[in-house]
Amino acid sequence: MFPLRLVRGYRATDLGRWLLTAIAAATTAAFLLRSLGRALGEPAATSVPRLLWCLPALAAVGWLAAAAARAVPAQHPERIAGLAAAGYGPGRIRLLIAVETALAAALGSVLALLLFLVLRNDIAGPELAADLGMGTRLPAAAPVTLLVLVPLVAGLAAAAAIPLDEALPGTPAAPPAVGFHPVRIAVPTGLTVVGMALELYGLRPGAEQDGRPVELPAHLGSVGTAALTGWAFTALGLALLTAPLLALAGRLLALHRPGPVRLLAGRSLTAEARRLATPLAVLTLGLAVLTAALAYGDDPDVPVTVAVLLLVGCAVGAVAARALEIHAARREITATLVRLGTEQRTLTAAAAARAGAAAAVLLFTGGLTALFAAACLV
Amino acid sequence: MSAAPPDNDVLWARGIVKSHHGTPALRGVSLAVREGEVLAVTGPRGSGKSTLLGCLSAQLTVDEGEVWFHSSPVHTLTRAGREKLRRERFGWVGSEPHLVPELTARENAALPLLLAGAGRRAAHTAAVEWLERLDVADVAGLRPAELTQAQRQRIAVARALAPLPPVVFADDPGAPLHREEREQVLRILASAARSHGLTLLLATHDPEPAGQADRTLTLVDGRIAGTATAPAAGSTAVTAAR
Repeated sequence: MFPLRLVRGYRATDLGRWLLTAIAAATTAAFLLRSLGRALGEPAATSVPRLLWCLPALAAVGWLAAAAARAVPAQHPERIAGLAAAGYGPGRIRLLIAVETALAAALGSVLALLLFLVLRNDIAGPELAADLGMGTRLPAAAPVTLLVLVPLVAGLAAAAAIPLDEALPGTPAAPPAVGFHPVRIAVPTGLTVVGMALELYGLRPGAEQDGRPVELPAHLGSVGTAALTGWAFTALGLALLTAPLLALAGRLLALHRPGPVRLLAGRSLTAEARRLATPLAVLTLGLAVLTAALAYGDDPDVPVTVAVLLLVGCAVGAVAARALEIHAARREITATLVRLGTEQRTLTAAAAARAGAAAAVLLFTGGLTALFAAACLV
Repeated sequence: MSAAPPDNDVLWARGIVKSHHGTPALRGVSLAVREGEVLAVTGPRGSGKSTLLGCLSAQLTVDEGEVWFHSSPVHTLTRAGREKLRRERFGWVGSEPHLVPELTARENAALPLLLAGAGRRAAHTAAVEWLERLDVADVAGLRPAELTQAQRQRIAVARALAPLPPVVFADDPGAPLHREEREQVLRILASAARSHGLTLLLATHDPEPAGQADRTLTLVDGRIAGTATAPAAGSTAVTAAR
C-alpha cells in the first residue's frame, strides 16, 4: 500500500506519532469492547451510559489524530513537494495522510480486538467475565462495527485538520495575523465574568436550600445547577482567552527597550499565539479538571483512571505535535537568525523566555479553572 | 600549513574544495580580496557562486583548502567562532529577503546590531538611517508580510549595511526584483561600499553588475575561469595604488 511504503522514510517523530495514535486507538477500542461485553449480559438500559463514556475517549483519539496530521506537511516539506510534483493534488495529499492515520488507528483497534478474543477464550478470571461477556455468543458484526468506528474517527479528523492551502508547497504561508477582533476578546471575557458570577451565586452562604440536583459521574458527588453552569462558562471563557492572553504575554515580554532575547521571544510568542493556544488550552483544561477531581473526589475506579490517562495522554500528544509543527514551520527563520550570527545561547534563552511566558499564562488560566472546579466540588 | 596571507587582503582563500552530499560545488578555488574592493563573482547557475560566498562568509565549512580573514584563519574556527565572525564582521544579503516575519522593518534592520551587543537606541538610529537611504523609511513600522518583495529586499540590504561590517556578501541580491529595482539596489550596495570603505562580494549570474565592480571573477563548474578588471580606470587605479 502506498501510504505504508512512504513510512519507510519516517523518522522517530513520525513513528512516535504512529505509536501514540495506535495506543490511543487501542485504549478506545478496549473501552468500546468492554461496553459491548457488558451489553451482552445486561439489559439494554444500563449499557447506554457505558457507551456514552466511550465518547470522550473517541474525541481524544480524534483530537490527537487531527493535531498530528496537521503537523505532517510542515515537517516533511520535501515529501509534499515530491508528491505534488508527481501530480498529487491537495485533496489526495490530504487523503494520503488521513489513510496513514487511519491505518495506525486500525492497527491499535485490531490489537485490542485480539486481546479481547483471547481473554474471552476462558483465560480471564471471573473478575473480568462480566466485562468480556463471557458465556454468551458474540455476534460477529458487533465488534467489527465498533472497531471500524475508531479508524474512521481518526481518519476523518486527520483529513479535516489539514488546511488545503498549507498542504501544497510553494504557496506562501499566510502572514501571521496580529491582534484579535474585539468580539474574539469580548465574548470569552463576558463568558468568564458571567460564569464566575453565576458560580459565586450558586455557592453563596444560603445556597444549601437550593439542593444539589446534578449527580456527577466517577464518584465526584453532586453539585448545584448554578455552580456547575457557572464553572462550565468560566472554563470555556478561560480556554478561549488563552490565545489573546498568550499574545498579550508576548507583547509584555517585548515591552520597554527589549534586547534581542526578549524581542525575539516576545514577538514570536505573539505571532504563534493562535497556533499554540488551542492544544495548550485543551491540555490546561484537562489538567485543571483532573487536579480538582483528584483533590476532592473519591478514589476513582480502574476504567475511569484509564480514561483520564487516555485523555491527558492525547492532550499532551497534541501539544507535542503542535510544538513540532511550529518548530518545523520556523526552521527557515531560525536558519536566517543563525546566518546573521545569532549565538545558540541567544536562541536557547529566547526559547526559554517564550516557554516561561506561556507557562505563566497557562498557570493563570489553569489555576483559575481548577480553583473554581474545586469550589464546586467542596 | 602555509604562512599567513598578505596583510592588505581582507579575504584570502587557497584551494577551496566543497561538495554538497557528494556533488562537487567548488573544485579548488583560490582568490584574494583587497580591502575596499567591489568584487563581482559571475557564472551560470550551479557554477558554485553561492557556495563560494557561503565558504568565504563562514556559513559553510570547507572540505579542503584555507580561508583567511585579515590574517586570521576562518577554516579552523569553531561554530561559535564562525557565528561571532558573521555577527560582528560580515553582512549578508541573499537572493531572498529572509526577514523575521514577526519583527517590523525597523527591528529587522536593527537586529544584527542588537545581536552584536549594540544599544537599542543606537541600533534603531542606524537602522532608520539606512532605511531612509533605501527609500523604505515610510514603512519602517510595518511587518514584512505587509510589504512588497522589492521593499523587503531593500530592508534586507539595510539590515546588512546598518552595522557597517568590514565585508558585505551579496548573493544575487537582485534575484527577486525587476530590472530597474535590481540596478538601483546594486548601485546602492556598491556606492555604500565605496563611501564607507566596505569590501563587497557580489555574486550574480547576469553580467550587468560588472559595471559596478572593480574586478569580476567568472566561475564555471566550481573553478575560476577568468578574471577581468573593470575598464573604468578610477577605482582600479585606487586599488592598484594600495
